[in-house]
This record gives sequence, C-alpha cells and structure tokens, in this order.
Amino acid sequence: MEQKIAEILAELCGVEPEEIQPELELFDEGLLDSFAAIQLVMELEEAFGVSLDMASLPRERIATPAAIATLIREKKG
Amino acid sequence: MTPYSGLLFFYLLGLLLLPTVVLGLLGRTLKIYGLIFSVFMLALVFGEGGQLPALITFYLWEGAVFLAYRRWRARLPLWAVVLFAALPLALVKVGEVWSPFAAFRLLGISYMTFRAVEALLNLHDGTVEALSFFQWSSFLLFFPSVPSGPIDRCRRFLSDLERKITPEEYIDLLRRGVWKLVGGAFSAIVLGGLIWQYWLAPLPGSGFLPTLSYLYGYTLFLFFNFAGSSSMAIGTGYLLGIRVPDNFRQPFLSVDMKDFWSRWHISLSTWLRDYVYTRFVTDSLKRKRFRNPRTASYLGYLLTMMTMGVWHGLAPHYLLYGAYHSALLCLNEALDLHWKPFKKWKRKGFGQVCCVLVTFHLFAFGLLIFSGRLF
Repeated sequence: MEQKIAEILAELCGVEPEEIQPELELFDEGLLDSFAAIQLVMELEEAFGVSLDMASLPRERIATPAAIATLIREKKG
Repeated sequence: MTPYSGLLFFYLLGLLLLPTVVLGLLGRTLKIYGLIFSVFMLALVFGEGGQLPALITFYLWEGAVFLAYRRWRARLPLWAVVLFAALPLALVKVGEVWSPFAAFRLLGISYMTFRAVEALLNLHDGTVEALSFFQWSSFLLFFPSVPSGPIDRCRRFLSDLERKITPEEYIDLLRRGVWKLVGGAFSAIVLGGLIWQYWLAPLPGSGFLPTLSYLYGYTLFLFFNFAGSSSMAIGTGYLLGIRVPDNFRQPFLSVDMKDFWSRWHISLSTWLRDYVYTRFVTDSLKRKRFRNPRTASYLGYLLTMMTMGVWHGLAPHYLLYGAYHSALLCLNEALDLHWKPFKKWKRKGFGQVCCVLVTFHLFAFGLLIFSGRLF
C-alpha cells in the first residue's frame, strides 16, 4: 500500500517515488495544493476502492504519506 | 454597544463570564451556561442597537429551515434548503446597496449564516450525524464570534461543547483565554486605534501620496484591528470551554497568494475552500466538465473569491476585490505550473524576500480596493 501511495504522490508532485518519505509534510513543503489534494483523493479512491469525501476530509488526514496510509487502512476496515 | 469595544462592554463581558469561570474551575459542564451567556450578550448588544427583533426573526427563520431539513432530509433538495438559509443574508446584502431593502440590517449575519449553512451541509454529508436543537442553537448563537468571526466548524465546535473539561484543563484554557483577550484588546484597541487616529484619519481624501500612505496604513490598521478582534473572540471562547480556531498566522510572511490565504482570515478562506472550491472542482473532475482539468481549478478560484467578495457586500468595490483575488490566485497557479523556478525561488534566500514583499503589496493593493477609497 505504501508503495502505491508513494507512486501516486510522486506522479502528482512531480518527484521520484524515493523522495516520498512517510513523514514528508506534503502541504508545508509545497508539494500539494488544493487542486492536487482533490486529484490525490480521487486517485486514492480509484486505486484502493474506498470512498473519501474530500469536502469533509480534514487536511491533516492527507498531510503526510503515513497519514494517508492510516486513512486508507481505516476506510478499508 | 459595540462588541469588544468600550469599558461598558468589557465590564458586562467580565461580569457574565464570572459564572463560567467558577463552573469551569469546579469541573462542571459549561454548555448550558454557555448558551445562557450567549443569549444574554446578544440581547445586550443587539437590544441596545435596536436589532433584537431582527435577530429573533433570523433565529426563528434559520431554526425552521434547520428543523425542516433535519425532519425531511431525504425529501428536500440541499440546494433549495441552502438558498432558504442564505435568504436573510441576501436581503441584508441587497439592503446595503438598495435603499428599499435598507430595513434589513443585522450585525454578524454573514458569520451566523455561514454557520447555519454549514450545519445543513454537515447533516447532508453525514459528517454530523445527529444535531439537537440545543446544540444547533449553541453553535449558531455562540456570541464570542458573532460580531467578526472566526467561523468555527460545526463538528469541531460540537466536540468541544460535549467534552468534559477537568479543572486542570480549564485552568489552562483560562490562562490562554485571558492572554488572548488581553493581547487582542491591545492589538485592536491600542494599536488599531493609534493607526486610525494618527495615521489614517488626518490623511487628505485624495492625491497619489496620501493614497499610497493610506494603502500601508489601512493594511496595518485592518490587520491589528481584525486580528485583535479575532483574538478577543477566541479568548472569550476559551473561557467558555470552546477552543475557537485561530484566524491569523503571520500573514505578512506569505510567499505567494495561495500561502497568504492559508494565513489571513483562515476560518473564512478554509470554509470557502472546503465548501465552494473543493465541491466545485471535485464535481467538475468527476463529470469531466472541462477538457483541461486545470480549467476547473481556475473557475473554482473565480467562484470562491467572488463568493468571498459577495459575502462582504454587493457594493462594486467588494465585487472587484473578489475578482482581483481570483485573478491573483489563477496567476499564482499558472506560475506554479508553468514557471518551474518559481516554486524553488519562493522557498529560500533573496527570492523568498522578494516574494514576501510582492505578496504583501498585492494584498495591500487589494485592501485599497476593498476600502472603497479608489471609487
């Protein structure tokens, strides 16, 4: 799962997957903005078959790759 | 009586906050007295200003919309319910520019309407599963942030409202709340007041240099006044056991306009981001409304910032302010996308200093538009 998340993030942020470290602050480092965050959520929904409501999703839930992995695990149950 | 201004207001505020401090120190629930406090303060402030009947009418209207939607959620279309909830705000905004509607006036209606709308959206989304009329009233009428924000979020507010606070936790809230109240009063009343009295008030009404001076003075005045008012509201909220979110985070250190809107009037910009921009862009991408997905983002910025402009008022300078900021955000996005050095440049050294200065001046010019002095 972490590998897939890193690949999605690398594609969106325009960096190599190896640069996506678990605790990388995606918003603070300027890698994600509001638009990229929406694209990220849509790609996560498609890749992992989960439903994430972007409008009600607190930013801290997708602020780092580790937080995203936790969110996906919760949603997959 | 003007909220957060004048000795009488602060005397009454202190007097009515005393019971909540006693309850908090004893570890008792604050939510019931919190609503009583809000009703008393609203009655005092709106009663003296002659707006109490308008406030009661607004409350009954929004209450009816809320109860109807809660009862018949499956049958009522969300857009229609939101329109009904926003109707009083629309009447007030029209009344500001069109004299036949001038009777529709209500202090803080912009903030209260956003709360009412958010409660409906949260019920629709299921982010708030159950919302009692007491909880809804506590949220809508929460006095500290009625006059000038911040716009708290319904789910976050409810978690604080229903949280059991120990005396130790309350002492910490009390200390931080008093600090924010005092700091906010110093910023809004002392610094804001000095800038107004000795810088802005003596300036001539026209001319290039006076306008240039006004641009800097008004920007600083609005920052100290607004950030100070927000801080006082947050401090009062803390004393009532509600950790109202911060509204400013060193905005004049922003490196671009996107960064700026994550630091200035944060509660409004994040509200608009979540409920206007994100919804519009997500829907547009899912429906593949535009060939280039970025078009959705640019139009999303236009829609979001024009909503912000209209939220301030329908006068031409507010609409132009919204259009100006949507153009700046689109330009910002285009630079991020198409000028590769920009992202690195704004993150360190001399480039960062330049970006901070440019962002400050772009915003200050925006406030000059907002002030109406150019028209």
